[in-house]
Amino acid sequence: MPYDEPEFDDPQDLVGVELPGDESVTREMAAAFADEFAQLGFSRAQILALYRKAEYTGAHQAWRLLGEDEVARIVDESVAVWGRFAYVVTDCVDDAPEPQPLTLFRHRS
Amino acid sequence: MPTVKNWQLGREMSYPYDARYPSRQFAFVFNINRCIACQSCTMACKSTWTFSKGQEHMWWANVETKPYGGYPQWWDAKILEKLEEANPGGQLWGGKPADGRFGPYGKFDGQTVFEAAARTLTPDSARVLGYLPTDEEWNSPNIYEDNPVGKRGVRNKLDETGVQLPVHNTWFFYLARICNHCSYPACLAACPRKAIYKRPEDGIVLLDQAECRGYRKCVEACPYKKTMYRGNTRTSEKCIACYPRVEGTDPETGGEPMETRCMEACIGQIRMQGLVKIAEDGTWAEDRYHPLYFLVHVAKVALPLYPQFGTQPNGYYIPPRWVPRPYLRQMFGPGVDRAIENYVSPSRELLAVLQLFRRSNRIIFRYDIQEGPKIYEGSLHGRKVEIYNDTVIAFGKNGRELFRTTVEEPIHVRPNTHANSI
Repeated sequence: MPYDEPEFDDPQDLVGVELPGDESVTREMAAAFADEFAQLGFSRAQILALYRKAEYTGAHQAWRLLGEDEVARIVDESVAVWGRFAYVVTDCVDDAPEPQPLTLFRHRS
Repeated sequence: MPTVKNWQLGREMSYPYDARYPSRQFAFVFNINRCIACQSCTMACKSTWTFSKGQEHMWWANVETKPYGGYPQWWDAKILEKLEEANPGGQLWGGKPADGRFGPYGKFDGQTVFEAAARTLTPDSARVLGYLPTDEEWNSPNIYEDNPVGKRGVRNKLDETGVQLPVHNTWFFYLARICNHCSYPACLAACPRKAIYKRPEDGIVLLDQAECRGYRKCVEACPYKKTMYRGNTRTSEKCIACYPRVEGTDPETGGEPMETRCMEACIGQIRMQGLVKIAEDGTWAEDRYHPLYFLVHVAKVALPLYPQFGTQPNGYYIPPRWVPRPYLRQMFGPGVDRAIENYVSPSRELLAVLQLFRRSNRIIFRYDIQEGPKIYEGSLHGRKVEIYNDTVIAFGKNGRELFRTTVEEPIHVRPNTHANSI
Protein backbone atom coordinates (compact mmCIF):
# COMPACT_ATOMS: atom_id res chain seq x y z
CA MET A 1 0.00 0.00 0.00
CA PRO A 2 1.47 3.37 -0.89
CA TYR A 3 2.06 5.63 2.07
CA ASP A 4 1.92 8.87 0.12
CA GLU A 5 -0.99 10.49 -1.61
CA PRO A 6 -1.35 9.12 -5.15
CA GLU A 7 -0.09 11.27 -7.99
CA PHE A 8 -2.91 11.33 -10.49
CA ASP A 9 -0.68 11.90 -13.51
CA ASP A 10 1.53 8.88 -12.65
CA PRO A 11 1.02 6.29 -15.43
CA GLN A 12 2.27 3.53 -13.09
CA ASP A 13 -0.42 4.22 -10.52
CA LEU A 14 -2.84 1.40 -9.80
CA VAL A 15 -5.75 1.00 -12.13
CA GLY A 16 -8.43 -1.10 -10.48
CA VAL A 17 -9.48 -4.14 -12.44
CA GLU A 18 -12.52 -6.05 -11.31
CA LEU A 19 -12.67 -9.78 -11.93
CA PRO A 20 -16.37 -10.21 -11.58
CA GLY A 21 -17.83 -13.00 -9.57
CA ASP A 22 -21.45 -13.59 -8.78
CA GLU A 23 -23.16 -14.11 -5.46
CA SER A 24 -22.70 -17.87 -5.65
CA VAL A 25 -18.90 -17.38 -5.66
CA THR A 26 -19.07 -15.11 -2.61
CA ARG A 27 -21.40 -17.54 -0.85
CA GLU A 28 -19.11 -20.49 -1.62
CA MET A 29 -16.11 -18.55 -0.30
CA ALA A 30 -17.98 -17.72 2.91
CA ALA A 31 -19.04 -21.35 3.30
CA ALA A 32 -15.49 -22.61 2.67
CA PHE A 33 -13.99 -20.49 5.46
CA ALA A 34 -16.83 -21.46 7.83
CA ASP A 35 -16.38 -25.18 7.10
CA GLU A 36 -12.61 -25.14 7.39
CA PHE A 37 -12.45 -23.20 10.64
CA ALA A 38 -15.32 -25.13 12.21
CA GLN A 39 -13.32 -28.29 11.44
CA LEU A 40 -10.30 -26.73 13.14
CA GLY A 41 -12.39 -26.40 16.31
CA PHE A 42 -13.13 -22.66 16.18
CA SER A 43 -16.32 -21.63 17.98
CA ARG A 44 -19.18 -19.70 16.36
CA ALA A 45 -17.99 -16.46 17.97
CA GLN A 46 -14.39 -17.00 16.85
CA ILE A 47 -15.38 -17.69 13.25
CA LEU A 48 -17.68 -14.68 13.11
CA ALA A 49 -14.88 -12.51 14.54
CA LEU A 50 -12.68 -13.61 11.64
CA TYR A 51 -15.29 -12.42 9.12
CA ARG A 52 -15.64 -9.08 10.88
CA LYS A 53 -11.92 -8.27 10.81
CA ALA A 54 -10.86 -6.12 7.85
CA GLU A 55 -7.39 -7.69 7.88
CA TYR A 56 -8.77 -11.02 6.62
CA THR A 57 -10.00 -9.55 3.38
CA GLY A 58 -11.38 -12.72 1.84
CA ALA A 59 -13.71 -13.49 4.70
CA HIS A 60 -14.38 -9.82 5.39
CA GLN A 61 -15.44 -9.12 1.84
CA ALA A 62 -17.95 -11.96 1.97
CA TRP A 63 -19.25 -10.50 5.25
CA ARG A 64 -19.65 -7.05 3.72
CA LEU A 65 -21.39 -8.39 0.64
CA LEU A 66 -23.68 -10.90 2.28
CA GLY A 67 -24.27 -9.15 5.59
CA GLU A 68 -23.91 -10.29 9.19
CA ASP A 69 -27.17 -12.27 9.27
CA GLU A 70 -26.42 -14.35 6.19
CA VAL A 71 -22.83 -15.04 7.25
CA ALA A 72 -24.08 -16.01 10.72
CA ARG A 73 -26.53 -18.42 9.10
CA ILE A 74 -23.73 -20.01 7.03
CA VAL A 75 -21.51 -20.27 10.10
CA ASP A 76 -24.34 -21.81 12.13
CA GLU A 77 -24.81 -24.41 9.43
CA SER A 78 -21.12 -25.36 9.51
CA VAL A 79 -20.87 -25.31 13.30
CA ALA A 80 -24.00 -27.48 13.56
CA VAL A 81 -22.06 -30.26 11.79
CA TRP A 82 -18.39 -29.80 12.63
CA GLY A 83 -18.84 -28.03 15.95
CA ARG A 84 -20.55 -30.97 17.61
CA PHE A 85 -17.27 -32.90 17.81
CA ALA A 86 -13.83 -32.18 19.13
CA TYR A 87 -10.79 -33.77 17.55
CA VAL A 88 -8.56 -35.09 20.27
CA VAL A 89 -4.87 -35.42 19.46
CA THR A 90 -2.74 -37.66 21.65
CA ASP A 91 1.03 -37.35 21.27
CA CYS A 92 3.11 -40.43 21.78
CA VAL A 93 5.43 -40.32 24.75
CA ASP A 94 8.75 -38.92 23.61
CA ASP A 95 11.90 -40.80 24.32
CA ALA A 96 14.34 -38.84 26.38
CA PRO A 97 15.89 -36.31 24.00
CA GLU A 98 19.44 -36.95 23.07
CA PRO A 99 21.80 -34.62 24.90
CA GLN A 100 23.04 -31.88 22.64
CA PRO A 101 26.49 -30.85 23.89
CA LEU A 102 27.35 -27.22 23.40
CA THR A 103 30.39 -26.68 21.30
CA LEU A 104 32.70 -23.95 22.40
CA PHE A 105 34.43 -22.05 19.68
CA ARG A 106 37.39 -20.13 21.00
CA HIS A 107 39.06 -17.28 19.23
CA ARG A 108 42.22 -18.55 17.50
CA SER A 109 41.41 -22.13 18.49
CA MET B 1 19.17 -32.16 -25.69
CA PRO B 2 18.40 -35.27 -23.59
CA THR B 3 14.81 -36.27 -22.94
CA VAL B 4 13.31 -37.03 -19.54
CA LYS B 5 9.96 -38.37 -18.40
CA ASN B 6 7.60 -35.83 -16.84
CA TRP B 7 4.73 -37.71 -15.17
CA GLN B 8 2.76 -34.52 -14.51
CA LEU B 9 2.71 -33.74 -18.25
CA GLY B 10 2.13 -37.37 -19.24
CA ARG B 11 4.96 -37.37 -21.76
CA GLU B 12 8.69 -37.09 -22.32
CA MET B 13 10.24 -33.63 -22.61
CA SER B 14 13.60 -32.04 -23.36
CA TYR B 15 15.85 -31.12 -20.43
CA PRO B 16 19.50 -30.01 -20.58
CA TYR B 17 20.69 -32.89 -18.38
CA ASP B 18 20.02 -36.62 -18.19
CA ALA B 19 17.45 -37.73 -15.64
CA ARG B 20 18.74 -38.37 -12.10
CA TYR B 21 16.26 -39.07 -9.32
CA PRO B 22 16.62 -38.90 -5.54
CA SER B 23 15.60 -41.85 -3.36
CA ARG B 24 13.12 -39.62 -1.55
CA GLN B 25 11.76 -36.24 -2.59
CA PHE B 26 10.91 -33.21 -0.44
CA ALA B 27 7.25 -32.46 -1.25
CA PHE B 28 4.36 -30.60 0.34
CA VAL B 29 0.60 -30.10 0.11
CA PHE B 30 -1.04 -26.73 0.85
CA ASN B 31 -4.80 -26.56 1.33
CA ILE B 32 -5.70 -23.17 -0.14
CA ASN B 33 -9.26 -23.40 1.15
CA ARG B 34 -7.93 -22.69 4.62
CA CYS B 35 -5.42 -19.93 3.96
CA ILE B 36 -6.36 -16.49 5.31
CA ALA B 37 -3.01 -14.83 4.49
CA CYS B 38 -1.97 -14.27 8.09
CA GLN B 39 1.65 -14.36 6.81
CA SER B 40 2.90 -16.39 9.80
CA CYS B 41 4.80 -18.66 7.37
CA THR B 42 6.31 -15.66 5.63
CA MET B 43 7.61 -14.22 8.87
CA ALA B 44 8.81 -17.58 10.22
CA CYS B 45 11.01 -17.97 7.15
CA LYS B 46 12.12 -14.34 7.14
CA SER B 47 13.17 -14.41 10.78
CA THR B 48 15.05 -17.68 10.32
CA TRP B 49 16.91 -17.28 7.03
CA THR B 50 16.66 -13.87 5.36
CA PHE B 51 17.02 -11.27 8.11
CA SER B 52 20.49 -10.03 7.13
CA LYS B 53 21.77 -7.04 5.27
CA GLY B 54 21.31 -7.48 1.54
CA GLN B 55 18.33 -9.82 1.99
CA GLU B 56 15.74 -7.15 2.65
CA HIS B 57 13.83 -7.86 -0.56
CA MET B 58 13.98 -11.66 -0.15
CA TRP B 59 10.92 -13.64 0.86
CA TRP B 60 11.69 -17.32 0.30
CA ALA B 61 8.21 -18.06 1.63
CA ASN B 62 5.46 -15.65 0.68
CA VAL B 63 1.67 -15.50 0.45
CA GLU B 64 0.19 -13.54 -2.43
CA THR B 65 -3.37 -12.60 -3.27
CA LYS B 66 -4.39 -14.14 -6.56
CA PRO B 67 -5.24 -13.28 -9.27
CA TYR B 68 -3.86 -9.73 -9.05
CA GLY B 69 -0.98 -10.14 -6.62
CA GLY B 70 2.43 -11.64 -7.09
CA TYR B 71 5.98 -11.70 -5.77
CA PRO B 72 7.70 -10.57 -7.87
CA GLN B 73 4.79 -8.71 -9.42
CA TRP B 74 3.09 -10.47 -12.34
CA TRP B 75 5.55 -13.40 -12.28
CA ASP B 76 3.06 -15.97 -13.53
CA ALA B 77 1.29 -13.71 -16.01
CA LYS B 78 4.65 -12.80 -17.54
CA ILE B 79 5.92 -16.33 -18.01
CA LEU B 80 2.54 -17.54 -19.31
CA GLU B 81 2.60 -14.69 -21.81
CA LYS B 82 6.13 -15.61 -22.93
CA LEU B 83 5.12 -19.23 -23.46
CA GLU B 84 2.06 -18.12 -25.41
CA GLU B 85 4.25 -15.89 -27.61
CA ALA B 86 6.59 -18.81 -28.24
CA ASN B 87 3.78 -21.21 -29.07
CA PRO B 88 0.67 -19.20 -30.02
CA GLY B 89 -2.55 -21.05 -29.35
CA GLY B 90 -0.72 -24.29 -28.64
CA GLN B 91 -0.45 -24.31 -24.83
CA LEU B 92 -3.17 -26.90 -24.44
CA TRP B 93 -3.81 -30.13 -22.56
CA GLY B 94 -5.09 -33.19 -24.38
CA GLY B 95 -5.32 -36.91 -23.91
CA LYS B 96 -7.19 -38.75 -21.22
CA PRO B 97 -6.20 -38.82 -17.54
CA ALA B 98 -4.37 -42.06 -16.81
CA ASP B 99 -5.28 -44.30 -13.91
CA GLY B 100 -1.67 -44.88 -12.98
CA ARG B 101 0.98 -42.55 -11.64
CA PHE B 102 2.13 -41.37 -15.10
CA GLY B 103 -0.07 -38.77 -16.77
CA PRO B 104 -2.88 -38.49 -14.18
CA TYR B 105 -3.96 -35.14 -15.69
CA GLY B 106 -3.81 -36.20 -19.32
CA LYS B 107 -1.08 -35.09 -21.73
CA PHE B 108 0.24 -31.58 -22.13
CA ASP B 109 0.60 -30.84 -25.86
CA GLY B 110 2.19 -27.40 -25.46
CA GLN B 111 5.75 -26.25 -24.86
CA THR B 112 7.59 -26.23 -21.54
CA VAL B 113 10.06 -23.49 -20.57
CA PHE B 114 12.87 -25.77 -21.82
CA GLU B 115 11.25 -26.65 -25.15
CA ALA B 116 10.16 -23.08 -25.87
CA ALA B 117 13.72 -21.90 -25.21
CA ALA B 118 15.14 -24.30 -27.78
CA ARG B 119 12.70 -22.93 -30.37
CA THR B 120 12.91 -19.23 -29.67
CA LEU B 121 16.12 -18.27 -27.91
CA THR B 122 19.58 -17.62 -29.23
CA PRO B 123 22.39 -18.37 -28.55
CA ASP B 124 22.18 -22.07 -27.84
CA SER B 125 23.56 -21.45 -24.35
CA ALA B 126 20.18 -19.97 -23.40
CA ARG B 127 18.54 -23.09 -22.06
CA VAL B 128 15.37 -21.87 -20.37
CA LEU B 129 12.69 -19.39 -21.41
CA GLY B 130 12.42 -16.80 -18.66
CA TYR B 131 12.93 -13.18 -17.76
CA LEU B 132 14.71 -11.14 -15.13
CA PRO B 133 12.25 -9.25 -12.92
CA THR B 134 13.00 -5.59 -12.33
CA ASP B 135 13.95 -4.18 -8.93
CA GLU B 136 10.51 -2.56 -8.71
CA GLU B 137 8.81 -5.92 -9.18
CA TRP B 138 10.78 -7.43 -6.28
CA ASN B 139 10.32 -4.39 -4.06
CA SER B 140 6.91 -4.88 -2.54
CA PRO B 141 5.75 -8.47 -2.04
CA ASN B 142 2.23 -7.32 -1.24
CA ILE B 143 1.93 -4.07 -3.12
CA TYR B 144 -1.65 -2.81 -3.29
CA GLU B 145 -2.79 -5.85 -1.38
CA ASP B 146 -4.61 -6.11 1.87
CA ASN B 147 -1.95 -4.97 4.29
CA PRO B 148 -3.72 -2.71 6.75
CA VAL B 149 -1.94 0.38 7.98
CA GLY B 150 -2.97 3.00 10.46
CA LYS B 151 -4.68 6.18 9.47
CA ARG B 152 -2.33 9.00 8.62
CA GLY B 153 -1.02 10.62 11.80
CA VAL B 154 -2.30 7.84 14.11
CA ARG B 155 0.46 5.68 15.54
CA ASN B 156 0.34 2.08 16.74
CA LYS B 157 -3.25 1.50 15.66
CA LEU B 158 -4.50 -0.29 12.56
CA ASP B 159 -7.27 1.13 10.45
CA GLU B 160 -10.37 -0.67 11.68
CA THR B 161 -12.33 -0.60 8.47
CA GLY B 162 -9.54 -1.08 5.95
CA VAL B 163 -9.28 0.83 2.74
CA GLN B 164 -12.42 2.77 1.95
CA LEU B 165 -13.23 1.52 -1.52
CA PRO B 166 -16.45 0.19 -2.95
CA VAL B 167 -16.94 -3.52 -2.25
CA HIS B 168 -16.78 -5.28 -5.60
CA ASN B 169 -18.46 -8.59 -6.12
CA THR B 170 -15.18 -10.13 -7.13
CA TRP B 171 -13.19 -13.24 -6.26
CA PHE B 172 -9.68 -13.93 -5.08
CA PHE B 173 -7.69 -16.34 -2.95
CA TYR B 174 -4.38 -16.58 -1.18
CA LEU B 175 -1.53 -18.53 -2.72
CA ALA B 176 1.24 -19.51 -0.31
CA ARG B 177 4.50 -20.26 -2.09
CA ILE B 178 7.98 -21.55 -1.39
CA CYS B 179 10.57 -23.11 -3.72
CA ASN B 180 9.02 -26.21 -5.30
CA HIS B 181 12.32 -28.14 -5.22
CA CYS B 182 11.42 -29.26 -8.73
CA SER B 183 12.40 -32.63 -10.16
CA TYR B 184 13.71 -30.83 -13.27
CA PRO B 185 14.80 -27.49 -11.82
CA ALA B 186 15.00 -24.64 -14.30
CA CYS B 187 17.49 -22.83 -12.04
CA LEU B 188 19.81 -25.84 -12.11
CA ALA B 189 19.44 -26.18 -15.88
CA ALA B 190 20.34 -22.54 -16.47
CA CYS B 191 23.37 -22.19 -14.16
CA PRO B 192 26.55 -21.93 -16.28
CA ARG B 193 28.69 -22.62 -13.16
CA LYS B 194 26.83 -25.80 -12.14
CA ALA B 195 26.51 -24.19 -8.72
CA ILE B 196 22.99 -25.54 -8.21
CA TYR B 197 22.48 -29.19 -7.32
CA LYS B 198 19.72 -31.55 -6.22
CA ARG B 199 20.50 -33.74 -3.23
CA PRO B 200 20.19 -37.48 -3.88
CA GLU B 201 18.80 -38.25 -0.41
CA ASP B 202 15.85 -35.84 -0.29
CA GLY B 203 15.69 -33.99 -3.63
CA ILE B 204 16.22 -30.59 -1.99
CA VAL B 205 17.65 -28.11 -4.51
CA LEU B 206 20.56 -26.10 -3.10
CA LEU B 207 22.74 -23.32 -4.43
CA ASP B 208 26.45 -23.54 -3.62
CA GLN B 209 27.46 -20.06 -2.52
CA ALA B 210 31.15 -20.81 -3.11
CA GLU B 211 30.55 -21.67 -6.76
CA CYS B 212 28.01 -18.93 -7.55
CA ARG B 213 29.30 -15.85 -9.38
CA GLY B 214 25.98 -14.03 -9.46
CA TYR B 215 25.22 -14.28 -13.17
CA ARG B 216 21.51 -14.44 -12.25
CA LYS B 217 20.76 -17.04 -14.91
CA CYS B 218 18.85 -18.99 -12.24
CA VAL B 219 16.79 -15.91 -11.33
CA GLU B 220 15.92 -15.48 -14.98
CA ALA B 221 15.14 -19.15 -15.53
CA CYS B 222 13.06 -20.16 -12.49
CA PRO B 223 9.47 -19.78 -13.72
CA TYR B 224 8.27 -19.50 -10.10
CA LYS B 225 10.88 -16.78 -9.39
CA LYS B 226 12.12 -18.44 -6.22
CA THR B 227 15.82 -17.77 -6.65
CA MET B 228 16.87 -14.29 -5.67
CA TYR B 229 19.96 -12.17 -6.14
CA ARG B 230 21.78 -10.66 -3.17
CA GLY B 231 23.55 -7.46 -4.10
CA ASN B 232 26.03 -7.18 -1.24
CA THR B 233 27.46 -10.70 -1.66
CA ARG B 234 26.98 -10.73 -5.45
CA THR B 235 25.55 -14.22 -5.31
CA SER B 236 22.08 -15.69 -5.65
CA GLU B 237 20.21 -17.38 -2.82
CA LYS B 238 17.13 -19.58 -2.53
CA CYS B 239 14.94 -21.57 -0.15
CA ILE B 240 16.95 -24.39 1.42
CA ALA B 241 13.87 -26.32 2.62
CA CYS B 242 15.18 -25.88 6.20
CA TYR B 243 17.34 -28.91 5.45
CA PRO B 244 18.85 -29.24 8.94
CA ARG B 245 15.31 -29.82 10.22
CA VAL B 246 14.38 -32.20 7.38
CA GLU B 247 17.60 -34.16 7.98
CA GLY B 248 17.02 -34.26 11.73
CA THR B 249 20.37 -32.65 12.43
CA ASP B 250 18.98 -29.43 13.90
CA PRO B 251 19.26 -29.66 17.73
CA GLU B 252 15.50 -29.03 18.07
CA THR B 253 14.65 -32.16 16.08
CA GLY B 254 16.08 -34.66 18.54
CA GLY B 255 17.44 -36.59 15.56
CA GLU B 256 14.08 -37.16 13.82
CA PRO B 257 13.05 -35.46 10.56
CA MET B 258 11.04 -32.34 11.28
CA GLU B 259 8.97 -30.12 9.01
CA THR B 260 10.25 -26.73 7.86
CA ARG B 261 9.76 -23.46 9.73
CA CYS B 262 7.05 -22.21 7.36
CA MET B 263 5.07 -25.44 7.83
CA GLU B 264 5.45 -25.36 11.61
CA ALA B 265 4.27 -21.75 11.90
CA CYS B 266 1.02 -22.23 9.92
CA ILE B 267 -1.88 -21.31 12.18
CA GLY B 268 -4.48 -22.07 9.53
CA GLN B 269 -3.17 -25.65 9.45
CA ILE B 270 -3.07 -25.60 5.66
CA ARG B 271 0.33 -27.29 5.30
CA MET B 272 1.77 -30.76 5.33
CA GLN B 273 5.30 -31.60 4.23
CA GLY B 274 6.90 -34.96 3.70
CA LEU B 275 9.55 -37.03 1.96
CA VAL B 276 7.99 -39.26 -0.71
CA LYS B 277 9.60 -42.37 -2.18
CA ILE B 278 10.71 -41.98 -5.79
CA ALA B 279 10.70 -44.91 -8.21
CA GLU B 280 13.52 -45.55 -10.69
CA ASP B 281 11.55 -43.94 -13.52
CA GLY B 282 11.07 -40.70 -11.56
CA THR B 283 7.40 -41.24 -10.68
CA TRP B 284 6.27 -41.51 -7.07
CA ALA B 285 6.77 -45.08 -5.91
CA GLU B 286 3.65 -46.83 -4.64
CA ASP B 287 3.36 -45.93 -0.95
CA ARG B 288 -0.36 -46.25 -0.32
CA TYR B 289 -0.38 -45.10 3.29
CA HIS B 290 1.93 -42.11 2.92
CA PRO B 291 -0.33 -39.04 3.45
CA LEU B 292 1.10 -37.07 0.51
CA TYR B 293 0.88 -40.08 -1.80
CA PHE B 294 -2.74 -40.49 -0.77
CA LEU B 295 -3.62 -36.81 -1.39
CA VAL B 296 -1.86 -36.61 -4.78
CA HIS B 297 -2.32 -40.07 -6.30
CA VAL B 298 -5.28 -41.74 -4.55
CA ALA B 299 -7.72 -39.01 -3.51
CA LYS B 300 -6.31 -36.77 -6.30
CA VAL B 301 -7.25 -33.61 -4.42
CA ALA B 302 -3.77 -32.01 -4.48
CA LEU B 303 -2.38 -30.65 -7.76
CA PRO B 304 0.97 -29.21 -8.87
CA LEU B 305 1.32 -25.46 -9.43
CA TYR B 306 1.57 -24.58 -13.13
CA PRO B 307 2.64 -28.08 -14.21
CA GLN B 308 2.79 -26.85 -17.84
CA PHE B 309 6.05 -25.01 -17.07
CA GLY B 310 7.63 -28.48 -17.20
CA THR B 311 9.86 -28.41 -14.12
CA GLN B 312 7.77 -31.09 -12.36
CA PRO B 313 7.31 -29.03 -9.18
CA ASN B 314 6.95 -30.84 -5.86
CA GLY B 315 4.55 -28.37 -4.27
CA TYR B 316 0.90 -29.47 -4.47
CA TYR B 317 -2.24 -27.48 -3.74
CA ILE B 318 -5.80 -28.36 -2.84
CA PRO B 319 -7.49 -25.75 -5.06
CA PRO B 320 -9.93 -23.19 -3.61
CA ARG B 321 -13.43 -24.44 -4.20
CA TRP B 322 -15.06 -21.04 -4.88
CA VAL B 323 -12.79 -19.79 -7.67
CA PRO B 324 -13.98 -19.89 -11.32
CA ARG B 325 -12.71 -23.08 -12.93
CA PRO B 326 -11.05 -21.66 -16.08
CA TYR B 327 -8.60 -19.72 -13.92
CA LEU B 328 -7.88 -22.78 -11.75
CA ARG B 329 -7.40 -25.02 -14.80
CA GLN B 330 -4.76 -22.62 -16.07
CA MET B 331 -3.00 -22.62 -12.69
CA PHE B 332 -3.28 -26.29 -11.69
CA GLY B 333 -4.04 -28.13 -14.92
CA PRO B 334 -7.07 -30.15 -15.98
CA GLY B 335 -7.26 -32.16 -12.74
CA VAL B 336 -9.02 -29.25 -10.98
CA ASP B 337 -12.63 -30.34 -11.45
CA ARG B 338 -12.02 -33.81 -10.06
CA ALA B 339 -9.95 -32.40 -7.19
CA ILE B 340 -12.66 -29.99 -6.06
CA GLU B 341 -15.38 -32.60 -6.47
CA ASN B 342 -13.41 -35.02 -4.29
CA TYR B 343 -12.65 -32.32 -1.73
CA VAL B 344 -16.18 -30.98 -1.22
CA SER B 345 -17.59 -34.50 -0.88
CA PRO B 346 -14.70 -36.12 0.94
CA SER B 347 -14.35 -39.87 1.30
CA ARG B 348 -14.08 -41.35 4.75
CA GLU B 349 -10.32 -41.83 4.28
CA LEU B 350 -9.78 -38.28 3.02
CA LEU B 351 -11.57 -36.84 6.05
CA ALA B 352 -9.25 -38.90 8.23
CA VAL B 353 -6.07 -37.88 6.38
CA LEU B 354 -7.05 -34.19 6.55
CA GLN B 355 -6.87 -34.61 10.33
CA LEU B 356 -3.12 -35.19 10.04
CA PHE B 357 -2.38 -31.61 8.98
CA ARG B 358 -0.26 -29.76 11.55
CA ARG B 359 -0.90 -32.13 14.45
CA SER B 360 2.84 -32.55 14.82
CA ASN B 361 6.01 -30.88 13.57
CA ARG B 362 7.59 -34.25 12.89
CA ILE B 363 7.49 -35.52 9.31
CA ILE B 364 4.84 -38.21 8.83
CA PHE B 365 5.99 -41.22 6.81
CA ARG B 366 2.92 -43.43 7.15
CA TYR B 367 -0.59 -43.37 8.58
CA ASP B 368 -2.98 -46.02 9.72
CA ILE B 369 -6.73 -45.78 10.28
CA GLN B 370 -8.59 -47.77 12.91
CA GLU B 371 -12.21 -47.60 11.86
CA GLY B 372 -14.82 -46.56 14.41
CA PRO B 373 -18.60 -46.15 14.37
CA LYS B 374 -20.54 -43.61 12.33
CA ILE B 375 -21.37 -40.73 14.66
CA TYR B 376 -23.15 -38.27 12.39
CA GLU B 377 -25.08 -38.24 9.18
CA GLY B 378 -26.73 -35.17 7.73
CA SER B 379 -26.37 -32.47 5.13
CA LEU B 380 -24.22 -29.37 4.92
CA HIS B 381 -24.71 -26.61 2.30
CA GLY B 382 -26.88 -29.09 0.39
CA ARG B 383 -24.31 -31.91 0.38
CA LYS B 384 -24.42 -35.18 2.29
CA VAL B 385 -21.99 -35.49 5.21
CA GLU B 386 -21.04 -38.60 7.13
CA ILE B 387 -18.63 -38.49 10.05
CA TYR B 388 -17.00 -41.53 11.62
CA ASN B 389 -15.09 -41.79 14.85
CA ASP B 390 -12.02 -43.16 13.12
CA THR B 391 -8.68 -43.08 14.89
CA VAL B 392 -5.89 -41.86 12.63
CA ILE B 393 -2.40 -42.82 13.71
CA ALA B 394 0.71 -41.10 12.29
CA PHE B 395 4.10 -42.79 12.19
CA GLY B 396 7.55 -41.22 11.85
CA LYS B 397 10.68 -42.23 9.99
CA ASN B 398 11.53 -45.30 12.03
CA GLY B 399 7.97 -46.56 12.25
CA ARG B 400 7.54 -44.99 15.67
CA GLU B 401 4.09 -43.58 16.45
CA LEU B 402 4.03 -39.79 16.49
CA PHE B 403 0.42 -39.10 17.50
CA ARG B 404 -3.16 -40.27 17.02
CA THR B 405 -6.38 -38.33 16.56
CA THR B 406 -9.88 -39.37 17.49
CA VAL B 407 -13.24 -37.67 17.53
CA GLU B 408 -14.79 -36.94 20.88
CA GLU B 409 -18.35 -35.92 21.46
CA PRO B 410 -18.51 -32.99 23.86
CA ILE B 411 -19.25 -33.55 27.53
CA HIS B 412 -21.51 -31.00 29.16
CA VAL B 413 -20.72 -30.47 32.85
CA ARG B 414 -23.65 -29.29 34.89
CA PRO B 415 -22.95 -26.10 36.84
CA ASN B 416 -22.47 -26.38 40.61
CA THR B 417 -25.78 -24.73 41.43
CA HIS B 418 -27.70 -27.50 39.66
CA ALA B 419 -25.29 -30.40 40.20
CA ASN B 420 -27.79 -32.49 42.21
CA SER B 421 -31.05 -31.16 40.89
CA ILE B 422 -32.20 -34.32 39.10
